[in-house]
Amino acid sequence: MGKLHFMNTLHVKDVRLVAAADKNKKNLKMAKTYNVNAYDDYKRLIDSENLDAVIISLPNFLKEESVAYASEKNLDIFIDKPLARNLTESRNIVQRVRANGVRLMVGVNYRYIDSVQKLKGMLDEGRIGDVVIATSELIMDGPFSHPLVPKPVPEWWFDKDRSGGGALLDLGYHLIDVFQWMFGDLHTLYSTLQYRFNLPLEDSATVILRSRKTSTRVVINLGWFSRMVFPNFNFRINLHGTVGYACTDQFAPKNLYLHATKEGTLNLLRKIVGKKIHRLSYTYYYSSFAKILEHFFESIKNDTASPISLGDQLKVIGTIENIYRRNGVTVNG
Amino acid sequence: MADVVLTSTETKYFTDDDVSKTVSRAIDLLNYDFNHDFHFVVIKPSLCYYWDYSTSETTDPRVVSAIVDYVRGQLGNDVSIFVAEADASAMRTKHAFKMLGYEKLSRKKHVKLVNLSKGDIVDKEVSVGDKKFTLKVNKMLLESKLIINVPKLKYHRRVGISCALKNMFGAISTPGKYIYHRELSEVIVGINKIVNSDVTVVDGIIAKGKYPKKMGVIIVSDNVLAADYAAAKILGYNPRRIAHINLAEKEKIGDFNHINLVEDGTDLEEIRSAFPEQNYLLQKISWKLQLKMLKAYSKIVGDTIPPILEE
Repeated sequence: MGKLHFMNTLHVKDVRLVAAADKNKKNLKMAKTYNVNAYDDYKRLIDSENLDAVIISLPNFLKEESVAYASEKNLDIFIDKPLARNLTESRNIVQRVRANGVRLMVGVNYRYIDSVQKLKGMLDEGRIGDVVIATSELIMDGPFSHPLVPKPVPEWWFDKDRSGGGALLDLGYHLIDVFQWMFGDLHTLYSTLQYRFNLPLEDSATVILRSRKTSTRVVINLGWFSRMVFPNFNFRINLHGTVGYACTDQFAPKNLYLHATKEGTLNLLRKIVGKKIHRLSYTYYYSSFAKILEHFFESIKNDTASPISLGDQLKVIGTIENIYRRNGVTVNG
Repeated sequence: MADVVLTSTETKYFTDDDVSKTVSRAIDLLNYDFNHDFHFVVIKPSLCYYWDYSTSETTDPRVVSAIVDYVRGQLGNDVSIFVAEADASAMRTKHAFKMLGYEKLSRKKHVKLVNLSKGDIVDKEVSVGDKKFTLKVNKMLLESKLIINVPKLKYHRRVGISCALKNMFGAISTPGKYIYHRELSEVIVGINKIVNSDVTVVDGIIAKGKYPKKMGVIIVSDNVLAADYAAAKILGYNPRRIAHINLAEKEKIGDFNHINLVEDGTDLEEIRSAFPEQNYLLQKISWKLQLKMLKAYSKIVGDTIPPILEE
C-alpha cells in the first residue's frame, strides 16, 4: 500500500513528495528515480526532512510507535486502517495526536468507493426510507493475494501478536466503519469467527450488529478464504428500507474490463485536452485510495478537520475488540 | 514401455473413502514393483501457494493420505514417509503445510513434513539441449529410492499445463524460482533429469482448465513424461506442442511412442470432452497484450498501476 500512496501522492496538486522510507532496497531505488529522498529508517527521515505531513503505511505492530514519533514532531498524519492492533493502542494514538494538536486521518477508503458514496447519498436523501436491515459481503484473499511478480506474504501477517487479528480486523474494519458512518452507534448482537486455514487468525467471520440510533440490523459476512483475480471485487452492501432497496452493485460497473477500457480512454482524452485525470478510475476499486488521500491533503490545505472522525475509529476498533472477546480470542494491550 | 492408468472415482461425491479407493485401485492397476528395500519414501505434492485444494491449484491432502496408506500396505508400518515441498517465490512451505491441511495429515498418519529448501542442499549440474544449469537440490531427493510425484491436473498460463514434470520444478530448493521463468521449460526438464519420479499420481479430483471442475480423475504412471502425455490430452492439448513436454522427450525422460494406456472404467476421450478446455495460447497472448496496453496507458497518461499488477 505504501507504494500506491507514494505514486498517488506524486500527482496531488500543491503537494510535493520529498522523502520516502522503506526497508526494501528496490523501493528506495524506485523512489530516487522520482527525485524523492530515500531512507531505510522512518525516524531518520522525519528527523532529516522539513515536512508538513506523513503517510504511514506500516504493519499494525508499528503503528502506535510511528504515530507517536510523527506527532511529537507536529506532523499531520495519514495512516492506513486499522488505526492499531487493539483499543488500548488506538486510544493511546488518539490521546497523543490530540495532545500534540496534529491532524490524524485513518485510510478508510471504502467510504470513497463510488458505489458506496452513491448508496450513502441515497440513504441521506431518504430515498430508501428507514433502513431496517443492511447486509454486506467482503470476501477475498486479503494478505494472500498473489501479485503478478510473486513475493512472500510478510511474516507479520501470520503472527497474531504483530498483526493484532485476522480477517475481522483487516476487512471487518472497513465494513464496520462504513456502517458506523451510515447508521452510528453500533453494538454486537451475534458474531462467529472461523479458521479454515488452521492459522491462529480467523479467516472468515459473520457478525450481526444493531444501531442504537436507527435500530438498523446490520449483517456482515467477510473472509480471506476466496481466491480473487484482479479486477474481480467481491464486495457489496445491500440496504433494505421502508421505501425500497438499494445495493452497491447497482452503481458498480457490470463488466470491469469494459469499465477499464472506457475509463482509460476518458483519461487519455482528459490528458490530451489538459484536464486532470481521474487517477486509477480504470481499476474501479483502487481509485478510492487516491480520493481519500486527496481529501487528507485538502483538509491540511484548508485547515479543516479530518473528514474521518477519530471518535468513529475508536468505536470501530472497540466493536472489533468486543467481537474478539465474545469469541474467546485474547486481545493484547 | 511406460504404463499410464486412467481412472475416476465411482461416485461424484468425492468422499474420503471414494478418493482413497480410487487412488488405491489405480496404483494396484499400475503393478508397480514395491518389492525392494525402500528405507524411506518421499511424496512430493504440489503446494504452489496458499490456495486450498478446492481451488484446483494444490494437491488434495486426501490423495496424499491415500498414497500413504497404500505405501504402508505394501512396505509395512516401519517405512519412513516424508511429504516434501520447497519454498516458492511467494509461498513458504511452513505456512502452506499448516494452511492446506498437511500438518493435520502429518499428525493423523504419522508422516514427516519436510521443507526441501532447508537441510542438506547440493548444487547439481545438468545440461538440457545446449544449455547448462546448476540447480539446488535437497539431498533427500537424491538419496530416496522411491519418490512419488503427486501433481495437480491443471492448466498453467505460462507453460500450458502444470502437471508431473512441472511439479518437480517446485522441488528445486531455491525459494525464488521466479528467476527461472525465462527458461522455464529447460529448467523443468533439467530438474526431472536430476530427480526421477518413480511413481506419479496425478490428482485430478478437482482439475483446472478454464475454471475448476470436479472431475474425480486419478492418473497413475511409472513414467513422469507418460503421465504428462495423458494429462495434456485430457486438457485438450497436443503434448508435442507443449514446450517442456516435447523437450522432455527429446531429453529421453520418456518416449511418446512407448506408452501403454490402461483405461479403468472410463476413457480418455470421455474425460477430455468433460474437461473445461482453456485455449492457452489465446489466453497467453491476451494476457500479455493486456499488460502491454496497461503499461503503455500508464506511461502516456501518467496514471498509477496498482501494486498487484506491477512487473
